Amino acid sequence: MHDKRYALVIDSRKCINCKACVVACRAENQVPLGASRDWIGEEHRGTWPRLLAAFQPEQCHHCVNPSCVRVCPTGASYQRDDGVVLIKEEDCIGCRYCMIACPYNARFFREDKGVVEKCTFCAHRVDRGESPACVETCPSKVRVFGNLADPAGKLQQLLATRQFHVMKPQTGNDPQIYYLL
Amino acid sequence: MPVSSLDRRRFIQIAGAGAVAATQIGCGRHQIALGQRREIPTTCELCPNKCSVIAVVEDGLIRKLNPNPENPKSRGMLCARGNAGLLQVYDPNRLKRPLIRAGARGEGKWREVSWDEAFDYTAQRLSAVKEKYGPQGVLWSSTEAFAEVFFKNLGMAFGSPNIVRHPTLCLASVNLAYSMTFGTVPSFDLLNANYVIMAGANRFEALITPDTMDLIESTMNRKTRLVCLDPRFTVTASRADEWYPVKPGTDMAFILAMLHVIISEGRHDKEFVANYCQGFEQLAELVKQYTPEWAEKETEIPAADIVRIAREFSDAAPRAVFYAGRRSSTYQNDFQMRRAQAILNAVVGNWDREGGMVPNAKIALGEYMFLPWDDPQAPRVDEMEKNFPLAAKGDGAYLKLRENVLAGSPYPVKAWMILKQDPLNALPEQAKTMRMIEQMDFIAAIDIQMSDTTWYADVVFPESTYLERLDPIEVLSGIWPVVVLRQPVVKPVYDTKPCLDIVQGLARRLGLQQYFDYTIEQWNDAAVKELPLEMPLEYLKKHGVYTPPGGPKYGATLNPEHRFVTKSGKIELYSERLQEAGHDPLPVYQPPLGPPEGRFRLVLGRKAYYTHANSTSNPWLLDFAPENHLSINPAAAASVGVADGDMVEVSSSVGAVRLRARLTQEIRPDCVYMLHGFGKQSPWLKRAYHRGGSDAAILETAWDKVSGNAAMHETFVKIRKV
Repeated sequence: MHDKRYALVIDSRKCINCKACVVACRAENQVPLGASRDWIGEEHRGTWPRLLAAFQPEQCHHCVNPSCVRVCPTGASYQRDDGVVLIKEEDCIGCRYCMIACPYNARFFREDKGVVEKCTFCAHRVDRGESPACVETCPSKVRVFGNLADPAGKLQQLLATRQFHVMKPQTGNDPQIYYLL
Repeated sequence: MPVSSLDRRRFIQIAGAGAVAATQIGCGRHQIALGQRREIPTTCELCPNKCSVIAVVEDGLIRKLNPNPENPKSRGMLCARGNAGLLQVYDPNRLKRPLIRAGARGEGKWREVSWDEAFDYTAQRLSAVKEKYGPQGVLWSSTEAFAEVFFKNLGMAFGSPNIVRHPTLCLASVNLAYSMTFGTVPSFDLLNANYVIMAGANRFEALITPDTMDLIESTMNRKTRLVCLDPRFTVTASRADEWYPVKPGTDMAFILAMLHVIISEGRHDKEFVANYCQGFEQLAELVKQYTPEWAEKETEIPAADIVRIAREFSDAAPRAVFYAGRRSSTYQNDFQMRRAQAILNAVVGNWDREGGMVPNAKIALGEYMFLPWDDPQAPRVDEMEKNFPLAAKGDGAYLKLRENVLAGSPYPVKAWMILKQDPLNALPEQAKTMRMIEQMDFIAAIDIQMSDTTWYADVVFPESTYLERLDPIEVLSGIWPVVVLRQPVVKPVYDTKPCLDIVQGLARRLGLQQYFDYTIEQWNDAAVKELPLEMPLEYLKKHGVYTPPGGPKYGATLNPEHRFVTKSGKIELYSERLQEAGHDPLPVYQPPLGPPEGRFRLVLGRKAYYTHANSTSNPWLLDFAPENHLSINPAAAASVGVADGDMVEVSSSVGAVRLRARLTQEIRPDCVYMLHGFGKQSPWLKRAYHRGGSDAAILETAWDKVSGNAAMHETFVKIRKV
């Protein structure tokens, strides 16, 4: 195992659907309107007055076995040693296989550039020692970003003491966003 | 300086406003050092919270706004609006240079003029009004801003008593109720409370710092119990341990019944009440009648739950708070409802205790000593002394003021100077505000965007945006107050000026320059000289915020010798001053009117990504809700033959708007809800123009009797499919 494995632990209960993360990502990564690299899933259930509302922040899961990388014909989609899944814009031919392969619908096609785009875990910020824009800006600090390979790190601490699940574990992708229960 | 095509492209993407980008770079007005990346701390202005931000500026362009973790009030966060703030600078539809109206009012024909011409013309028109009607003939209205002080001072130096500010469209009733009880308006220590009751406040969608973040932290990580009363199933309701869809306008019955239980069972803090409060016997006598069974009939909250909540609340005290809320008033007895809350908090002894209700700590700023002017001769046009003798006189009472201006009583007001405010959308009954506009001889507005009201002005002064200007240094009050600096992170992109420059330009031409004979730098030097820092200005420029060491402190007023700033010097459960002014000295319940057959109560609220009526034209924000809808319960919709997505007309006695219906289970069947800030009439608010409907067009005029605060939930509307 590498000494670095970036991942997110998300406490959705704390999410208030305020959209700060969505705008922060748009600003940081110059994401055009009409698409988003991160978003908040909403669930509203029940009949007045017995109701439930739940919110779930979502983005690329930077899987251990990323199906998007496997299907990419040019190698434009690739994974760094620290687990971050990226797209090399120059090598992307816009075939969009990866969009179909992604179980989380985390990728979108940019008409203006003719390439596919998605969350990078703000690799450019992380490499400077900062946290991803969505993580930093959040009023309720829903997302915890860190190094899963660090046994004493905050991610391992959270996962050791709290119940969690991952989305669509059956795909075999081994997604690296852990949702606390 | 040459700019590569790559940089140009990147800028266009950042700004999301290609046309502006090309113009700006093409004209080469700025020295842009390529490859230079600077991080400049400053203070957000997208809402009244004023969070600390760090602007990342690359090649002279604002690339990103990040939260500044040094400010304990903003708790290291920046919301959606704060992140979208940079679009204010690069908005192609913003105000770029001074304008004088060329066609009829509202026709949209403008002449771009020099600052000199705009100042000369405005001064001439104001002088003409002054000559004919006296200085009181000019109204100066503004909303909360760091530089508001300069604008207000110009109005007062001009000789007008008619300065009207935002509080009576905001939280004047809360402020007055807590002031009448404690002599001050406290904060609520939600971070350390173990039991929080939130009624008519939606803290998880209407963000207030640090309350929103603290409440999430305490409810989700510390298991603080949250009880929420709201006619809508808001995000706050969805996160609460208990949510009661209270019958609108009956919150006070719930509070009085809690008092009944707490006092009759002897659960109040007897020692605290004996030492610090006055009027407890009268209170105990009053609440005898307000039994939980009675309250159940009023509120539709089961009596057993009221009893249990009252017991749990008093058991958790002093780490228990009935949260004051921070919103406009709702009903015409809003002051008394807020008083009831204040009294409930007082009797359980949560005053100035950790996890309770804490008086705000102070940081004293120095004041620049400017030449004082004579007090105005005329009384205020809203006759505060007669109508609202207990209220804060300097802020005025907006709705009463509008009535009197329209009636020309007690004297005519014929010119209107406006700073950063959009009265057409901020006040209920838009048609009436329009009549007020029509009867003015002259209107000038200072703003960054062409708001609906600015659209009807005769002169428009474009203010520099918050990222382009230096503002007065301010204290953000709270349990742990801080000092913040707003400094420019880029030079003004267009021909705009900060508020003080605009005020001084006018003052010179009005012969008032002697009162504004200082620079913003001198003002700020004076402000910070008392701070316990070696080089305070340098510190603030580097950090953006100064946080006094030591953190929150509790209990400074918990000393039987402490004199509260009230008539008796004690916490006034019973208020003689209220009695003298002809109001109930104790909160006496008055049931609200219910909606007549076939009508619905219009209730208001906020979303976390829009501030008031002023951010819906920001494309990054409008993306989340491109228009507003009428939220209506399916049972109610069926009764008026409306299906999801239908276009409906929503009408009251004062107006009608059209918007689409959205059927939702998350609202009481006797209420409907619509989001504020839509249905814009100014075509320059390009993205929000004619989208959805404006609540201001249908809200009826009503105000709280004690504070004069607009009562926003007193309108019953008819719904018709169109």
